[in-house]
Amino acid sequence: MPLNLNHIIPESLILVKVLEAANTGIVITDNLLPDNPIIYCNPAFEQISGYTRAEIIGHNCRFLQDQDRNQQARFTIKEALLSGESCVVEIRNYNKQGNLFYNELYISPVKDNAGKITHFIGIQNDVSARKKAEQALEMNYKEVEQKVEERTYMLKQSEEYLSSIVETIRESLLVMDKNYHILSANSHFLHTFKVSLNETKGKLLYDLGNGQWNIPELKTMMEEILPSNNPVLNYEVEHEFPHIGRKLMLLNAHRVELEGQFKDRILLAIEDITERKAIEQRKDDFLSIASHELKTPLTTVIGYMQMIKRMMPENASEKFKTTVNKTSTYVDRLNQLLSELLDVARIQTGNIELHNEPFDFDKMVADAVEGLQTASPGYQITIQGNTGVIFNGDESHLIQVLTNLISNAIKYSPEATQVEIHISMVSNFIKVSVKDYGMGIKEDELKKIFQRFYRVGEIQKSYPGMGIGLYICDQIIKNHGGTLWAESKPGSGSVFSFTLPLDRIVNQVKSYGDNQQQ
Amino acid sequence: MICDDDQGILEMVEMIMEEYGYDVYTEANSMQLLKTMGREKPDLLLLDIWMPVLSGDQVLKNLRADSEFNAIPVIMYSASTEGAAIAKKSGADDYLSKPFDIDILIEKIRKLI
Repeated sequence: MPLNLNHIIPESLILVKVLEAANTGIVITDNLLPDNPIIYCNPAFEQISGYTRAEIIGHNCRFLQDQDRNQQARFTIKEALLSGESCVVEIRNYNKQGNLFYNELYISPVKDNAGKITHFIGIQNDVSARKKAEQALEMNYKEVEQKVEERTYMLKQSEEYLSSIVETIRESLLVMDKNYHILSANSHFLHTFKVSLNETKGKLLYDLGNGQWNIPELKTMMEEILPSNNPVLNYEVEHEFPHIGRKLMLLNAHRVELEGQFKDRILLAIEDITERKAIEQRKDDFLSIASHELKTPLTTVIGYMQMIKRMMPENASEKFKTTVNKTSTYVDRLNQLLSELLDVARIQTGNIELHNEPFDFDKMVADAVEGLQTASPGYQITIQGNTGVIFNGDESHLIQVLTNLISNAIKYSPEATQVEIHISMVSNFIKVSVKDYGMGIKEDELKKIFQRFYRVGEIQKSYPGMGIGLYICDQIIKNHGGTLWAESKPGSGSVFSFTLPLDRIVNQVKSYGDNQQQ
Repeated sequence: MICDDDQGILEMVEMIMEEYGYDVYTEANSMQLLKTMGREKPDLLLLDIWMPVLSGDQVLKNLRADSEFNAIPVIMYSASTEGAAIAKKSGADDYLSKPFDIDILIEKIRKLI
């Protein structure tokens, strides 16, 4: 090597060999010369920087930073050089091709006996790869951090969103822990029951408002029903509340079953339906009074109408006979519509109540047929088979079903003269079928005939009605635990059948709200 | 005998029944019914359920408690949907829902007298 270092470390040339062999870049600068020039560099430094020795010697080290002058590392170095301290920095350097590499630079001053700095030794390592990995790591970290921030923000937003829903909703909501202590109450609850949040939060449900919620039915629901039937829906509780009087409350309770921080929390939604029930009751009362009042004069009209027909002289003119018959038809129709109106009202309020009593099923069928046979002399209504059963059910409702099915059979088979009724026992079910030889029903319409207010298209014009007869029949049969269905072939007639189970378990669960699902 | 607060029904049923050869007495005030029945001694009573002051089921209760009238057959009728259940509970011999068919009315009467 052309550089003679003997004057620095005269003892051993072997040390020079070490420098030459090192894979760490090493430079030595002479601090006694102007601008502290590089006086030595090893081959490893040539390799790192991409410059040849000839391009390096005599230059100040700053050429390695190219135009990238304002980096923090340079100020650190400057300070160290001035104070004669050693330092370690990571500095952005640029090789001959202008490519950035990260240089981990260790600078150490060399002092003479008087303490004056004569040289600096710079030891350099290209740490670009490490740096890159570090940067990537940092980037990932930042990304993750940002995502966490975003998620937190979103969570906060959705929390705010949910709580605004809870606060806006016009229903009282309580959240409790598993021991029925209130964790939170929405403003509608506080408003409805005229209490403050302080009086509510942390308290036991049954201690709230001087024990106004210490209601036996509520306790039963929370402690006996909810644990095995989650959620409990539409549970009615009537209670005298201290500030607000007698109220009918509809309760929905739900226990969080999901594992996690909310497990076993209980949500209780309370809806005051006092007013609604009262309005429904008034509506029912009105309809039943109105229909009764309307039916009374109609009874008179129908009676006289029948008498007029009977007393009609044989030699009355055709025109007169037609007039009388038409009047009679429309009076009957009025009566029919009035009955349907009342049924609609009852159904819409979910008030099909069953009055179950044992009755002779075969006799019920015979009675229903007898009534219709008298009214429809042009048809032969036959009963085949028997059940021999005393059935426990609502006789007047089942008569209504049978009457409806038979009248439909007559109504929709104007060309026929025959309606057949089959009754039998099938396993532990009563089965009744009403068969006609009428116009039949198309397959796509067959599915819809049990819907409320549905009327088969062509039928609409020639047979007026509200389209609720079969809907009511279906509801009545369902209430008895049975099924009602129809089979038909257009042009050759229909068969309407229903079954009734004998060993029905009487379901006494309150039916409030059932009508809303229909 | 027929008891109904509605004059229209009274007249109509009276006319029909007379047409079928029955002697008919009418009473529009249910409070007066027992007195009228004591005087006229009817073979059968047609009784409306929904009447003001004293309703049909109350009338029937009084009637059944009275040894003079408790054997007289009673057919109740009503436009109310609960009518059939009320009639059964009160111990009526038969029931008709309003509006009724003349033939069915006559048939039910013939079954009882």
